[in-house]
Amino acid sequence: MSVLDPRARRRFWKNRGARVGLGFVAFLVAFALVGPLFARHDAYTSDFARGATVLGEPVGPSAVYWLGTDRLFRDVFVRLAYGARLSLVIAISATLISTVIGSAVGLVSGFYEGSSGARVPYAGIAVAGAGFVAVLAGHARLGGALLVLALAIVALAWVLPVKIAALDGPTLDADTALMRLVDVGLSFPFLLLVMALGAAFDRTTVSTILWTLGLTSWLGTARVVRAKTLTVRNLDFVGAARALGQPVWRILARHVLPNVAGPVIVLGTAQVASMIVAESVLSYLGVGISPPTPTWGHMLYEGQDAYESAPWLLVAPGVAILFSVLGFNLLGEGLRDALDPKED
Amino acid sequence: MRSIRKRTSALVACAALLGCQEPPPSPLPAAGNAAPVRGGELRLASAFDIKSLDPAVASDALTGEAIELMFAGLVDFDDAGHIVPDLAERFERSEDGTTYRFFLRDNIFFHDGSPIRAEDCKRTIERALHPDTPGSFSLFYDRIAGFEDYQNKKADHLAGVVVEGERVLAIHLREPDATFLPAFAMQILRPVCPSAGDRYDDTWTPCGAGPFKLESWDRGRTLRLVRFDKWWQPGKPYLDRITYSYSMNIVTERYKLETGDLDTDRELSLPDTFRYQNDPRWKLLGEYDVIPSINGEEMNVEMAPFDNVEIRRAVAAAIDRDQIRMLKTPSLIPLYRVLVPSLGGDDPNFPAQKHDYAAALEHMRRAGFPYDPATGKGGWPKPITYPVYKQGLYELSAQLLQQQLAKIGLRLEIKVVSFPTYLMMTKRRGTTAMAPAGWQQDYPDPNDFFEPIFTTSAINDEDSNNGAFYSNPRLDDLVVRGRRELDAAKRKAIYDEADAIVCSDAPWAMEYQYRYYGVHQPYVKGLRQSAVWPNYVRDVWLDKPRALAMRRAPRGILATLEGLLR
Repeated sequence: MSVLDPRARRRFWKNRGARVGLGFVAFLVAFALVGPLFARHDAYTSDFARGATVLGEPVGPSAVYWLGTDRLFRDVFVRLAYGARLSLVIAISATLISTVIGSAVGLVSGFYEGSSGARVPYAGIAVAGAGFVAVLAGHARLGGALLVLALAIVALAWVLPVKIAALDGPTLDADTALMRLVDVGLSFPFLLLVMALGAAFDRTTVSTILWTLGLTSWLGTARVVRAKTLTVRNLDFVGAARALGQPVWRILARHVLPNVAGPVIVLGTAQVASMIVAESVLSYLGVGISPPTPTWGHMLYEGQDAYESAPWLLVAPGVAILFSVLGFNLLGEGLRDALDPKED
Repeated sequence: MRSIRKRTSALVACAALLGCQEPPPSPLPAAGNAAPVRGGELRLASAFDIKSLDPAVASDALTGEAIELMFAGLVDFDDAGHIVPDLAERFERSEDGTTYRFFLRDNIFFHDGSPIRAEDCKRTIERALHPDTPGSFSLFYDRIAGFEDYQNKKADHLAGVVVEGERVLAIHLREPDATFLPAFAMQILRPVCPSAGDRYDDTWTPCGAGPFKLESWDRGRTLRLVRFDKWWQPGKPYLDRITYSYSMNIVTERYKLETGDLDTDRELSLPDTFRYQNDPRWKLLGEYDVIPSINGEEMNVEMAPFDNVEIRRAVAAAIDRDQIRMLKTPSLIPLYRVLVPSLGGDDPNFPAQKHDYAAALEHMRRAGFPYDPATGKGGWPKPITYPVYKQGLYELSAQLLQQQLAKIGLRLEIKVVSFPTYLMMTKRRGTTAMAPAGWQQDYPDPNDFFEPIFTTSAINDEDSNNGAFYSNPRLDDLVVRGRRELDAAKRKAIYDEADAIVCSDAPWAMEYQYRYYGVHQPYVKGLRQSAVWPNYVRDVWLDKPRALAMRRAPRGILATLEGLLR
């Protein structure tokens, strides 16, 4: 709460929704951290003796298995707790990646908006285009090499002191380049893009999932940070820092970033909820983390066929996803209201 | 009143949340006739769809159900799997076993009204086995004389298929082949109307000589068959019409069965299976349908660590088939050898694969990778990639297998892939060390469980049926001998020996075969359990009370709503 001033903090605590959201999130974090410590069974081992009925069905909630067992006769409670850990690690890490990239792009884009820009050689554009075509055609290595070559051509055009006809091309400023990139990225449906990337990996692990989610979800943050930066960069203290000759990176880091941090935190908090859902969707559809690692999405998938005879297999992960998403969304909305002076 | 409603809603919500399963409603009544009654419409459904109704190319079991009704063969299987005459009134085999002669019945007709002659049977066989006809069934018939020349387009006709009169067809083989007759009784070579022409054409309107003929086929939705009045068996079939609804949600299927809008349901979820089995009113209306098949783990003998026979034996001994059975208790039957019980694989003294943890550890030691369960040290040092596609049971059994093999020091890394990727990975040489595999009977003969999956001739660099890439000259020789041998007792001994070799060399670790549970309304009579054909309804008749028989199917808005729901 250190980013909140005393008035904002007061507004936050007065908001019942925010308190409930914080409560849910705190419970989720505590469950993820402490839950496995209460485990009396291994999350990966089937118990055919006590975890199955005589008919071969999973047993329901009991003193032995608090949330019953799953279709492989494993402890649902322990798997839910490990799933919570995984969901939180993936959601928070992916949000951090997304926030860092989105903030950096937004800051640069907003700060350089309206600048004269630099030359981008036609040759570089053509080679980059060929690179994208090669990637889409399935020649990833060739495509990658062509994209690197395109970057080299662009860099050469910038650093060469003399103008060469072969490196001639239109002028493009950083803001236009980055924001068109964001436009292109936003034109892809998020989950479809993530699923395609997830399916492209040879073997999906925690790191591939969190990088996939993180690298595909920074676009919205970049837009918001850019808009806020456009306002902040014209304020007097930024002008003063420029007049004092401070380097751009320092101005951005010391003067602009702290002033756009509020919306970024609000956005990030809500994004954690989206990441939990995205990870669950990926696992549910089979392009997430491979079994037997417990994930809420995969637990839902495994339990769906037994929704009538063993409803706890759907209820447990379903409720966990519901309250986690609700918690982070309420917390995000509470932070937004707390940081909005008009709420006074 | 409001409070009652509130309470009821709360109870319903509680029931839904806690899964308090409602018992199924009472079955609909039967009229009580002892003798078969003619007429009525049998309504069936499936969650899946059919692609083609041409017997020359159709391969899946669901399509086979409809083809069994629309197309009749010269011979067919009886309920026990024995071959019996159908359109042929009799058949004979020559002394040396290289010629089969079929004598057609008098006054048999195609659905278009034209008479069936031996010439039509020859045309049908040449059409189905022509090299341009898609599918890989022709290999079942490669012992027919002249087959190679015909397949290589060096001959316009199959020399071994000879018309010896309007009603006599002779088929000459280049060597005795005990598998010919069962393969001939399959649906692939069943006579098709003259409109089918000499060559396969996917625009042809299916027309055969079975007890039911095509009325309409709305692809992806409905297939309607009507009684063929010129069917050779007097008084049969009993039904006027059979309607299949495809692509129907299995929950919808179950509700429709309970409301009487479907007459049978063979695609029950596991909870619903228990629900009907535990209800005394429905218990006697259900039955299992065993599809002869083998399912297990395929180990690539050309790739480490399964190039070491001791490791393969360790896997076969480490798998606890009773635990796997518990993943879907009523549907899985543990399997310990290649030959399924219906093909004679029921000898309790046979040296089959079995769960023996101590033996599994011993095999690992002999392989040079001893594993100490107490410390968890030892075993094969690298993880083994294990591909599965998204199919509920496979994903579950993969995780259980992972647990079982970890206990002998083999670490599996499960990789969920799409079905095409799974096929590519498991059938391409040098790609996958271990994967789940299954084989379903094409025709009821032991050869069908050896030649296509365990012999050297079944190995290809791409799309290999022998996914274990297992090659054993002794087994190859036994399979050839088994195919040529016509004496049943000698054949059994040959295939038992082949089975023992496979169990010992363990290119596969056998696990289970599958069976389906289905229920029907009490008025559905004449359902028969066939050893070959699933959901065999040729001789079904309906014993509906008059009021029930007069009930009409929903029309107009209701039918539209049903369609939307589906």
